Amino acid sequence: MLKSCLRGLKIYFYMVGVSIKTQLQYRYAFVMNILGWAMTYAGTAITMWVMLYSFGSIRGWTFWELLFLFALAVLSWSITMVLFFHFHNMDEYIVEGTFDRFLVRPIHPFLHVIALKFDVGAFGQLLFSIVAMIIAYVQLKLNWQFYQWLVFLGAIIGGTLIQGSMLVLISAAAFWTTRSERLFWALMWPARNLMNYPLTVFPRFIQLLVTFLLPFAFVNFLPALTLLDKTKESFDPFWGFFSLPVGIAFFAICFKIWNLGLDHYKSAGS
Amino acid sequence: MMKTFKMYLEFTRKSFQRSAAYRVDSWSRIIGNIMSLGIWGCIWFALYHGHDSVENISFQSMLSYILISMALQGIHNAGTPLWEIQHRVRTGDIAFEMLRPYDYPLRMLFTDLGSISFHFVTAILPLYIVIFALFQPDIPLSASQWGLFILSAALGYLIRYSLELTFGLFTFWLIETGGVEDVFYFSISLFSGSVVPLWFFPDWLERLASLLPFQGIYFIPNAIFIGELSGQEIWPALLNQVIWLIICYGLLRFVWNKASMKIVVQGG
Repeated sequence: MLKSCLRGLKIYFYMVGVSIKTQLQYRYAFVMNILGWAMTYAGTAITMWVMLYSFGSIRGWTFWELLFLFALAVLSWSITMVLFFHFHNMDEYIVEGTFDRFLVRPIHPFLHVIALKFDVGAFGQLLFSIVAMIIAYVQLKLNWQFYQWLVFLGAIIGGTLIQGSMLVLISAAAFWTTRSERLFWALMWPARNLMNYPLTVFPRFIQLLVTFLLPFAFVNFLPALTLLDKTKESFDPFWGFFSLPVGIAFFAICFKIWNLGLDHYKSAGS
Repeated sequence: MMKTFKMYLEFTRKSFQRSAAYRVDSWSRIIGNIMSLGIWGCIWFALYHGHDSVENISFQSMLSYILISMALQGIHNAGTPLWEIQHRVRTGDIAFEMLRPYDYPLRMLFTDLGSISFHFVTAILPLYIVIFALFQPDIPLSASQWGLFILSAALGYLIRYSLELTFGLFTFWLIETGGVEDVFYFSISLFSGSVVPLWFFPDWLERLASLLPFQGIYFIPNAIFIGELSGQEIWPALLNQVIWLIICYGLLRFVWNKASMKIVVQGG
């Protein structure tokens, strides 16, 4: 068991290395890609700033707090993108019949799909989120205690797992319907837009939905309450501690569903 | 002349029919549009919490603004996206377009008219009639205001079309437009007032926005629609749109001529 795990990891790192090399081949495109992502997110941040210029705050959140909330989501999303983003078009492999190849390789198909790509373009987002977060940290004069650093770490790992699990869950739909990319755009895109703003902006049923069913609230909103010492919200700040366990549990569920789909999978044939 | 026009109209007809065949596409687009509308509606509602009016704009006006803005964006998004033009350039398909006896930029415009009119009639129009009936936003009160709004919206569409196509043609030189493209999209989304109207900008940024072509895309038609821009103030705004359209179209022709000279077909 352990041996096969180690072997799987070895193959994973080998494949990732190849993927990075192919992306580095086009040096100019590589740099542009990173810059492009960083600028896209900077653009969203500037739009937030412009919006709050005349209003001052949104549901009690100032611009810097909003920036922090946004950057926290982007930080874990950038790691999600590196590891899991290619799940969003896994359906292409199924439709084209190339997925069958993954089944006969000496590595678990799940790990194989993960290893297909290692998106270095996501470093642009990582760059943006780290810079934005440092600026927000300084502007808000934060001074985290040890437990808050733990919450921060939990939010990053948990947030990566939650968003990654969402992608895994969406891709699993392709085992039954052969199509999943549309589902990605219909679910993930609005969800990520929701996460850029405090959850209290949205109606109650959406708050409950993203807390208990699709736990996006644990990616950035709930940990941010703990990290920004926001106590006058409809959620208590202790919710922020649960990002990591929720992430692990959600990942376990989604992985299980993915495997159920894999059992159900019949080749599209050719 | 008449014959040429008929030929271009044929493209519109074909693209209308093609859109009818890809109905799922149309639906997923409309779902995305409604969700954007919902998210922005909530955000503006939250922003106005505790304010009656900000910069002399009431929540009612802002709600109307965001509704008509999203409806217009729904129409704009049914057109050919930038990446399709770039894809043509990268794969070399653009060479075939050049061989054919029509003007490519013009053909694209007529093709887009087909998919847009399909999308408008089957999705945007019925959907927004229901939404407008539900939310009772400010709408134009007179036939002339409706007319001016439609004129302004059409000018806005042409401005965006010229800019986007011009930008797509830069692929001829750059091949990979990555970072520049993001700045372009960001400029459109911010300076056109697509989600944040120019009234709420800091003064210096508002001045900058008023010097750029983008405000003609959404901001001016939206402002006419909700009646913030009315009477004598409309004319300079429309003139601004017309001048920018002439400049942008001139730029498009210039870049197109240069690009035709410079064609590099990828692969073989």
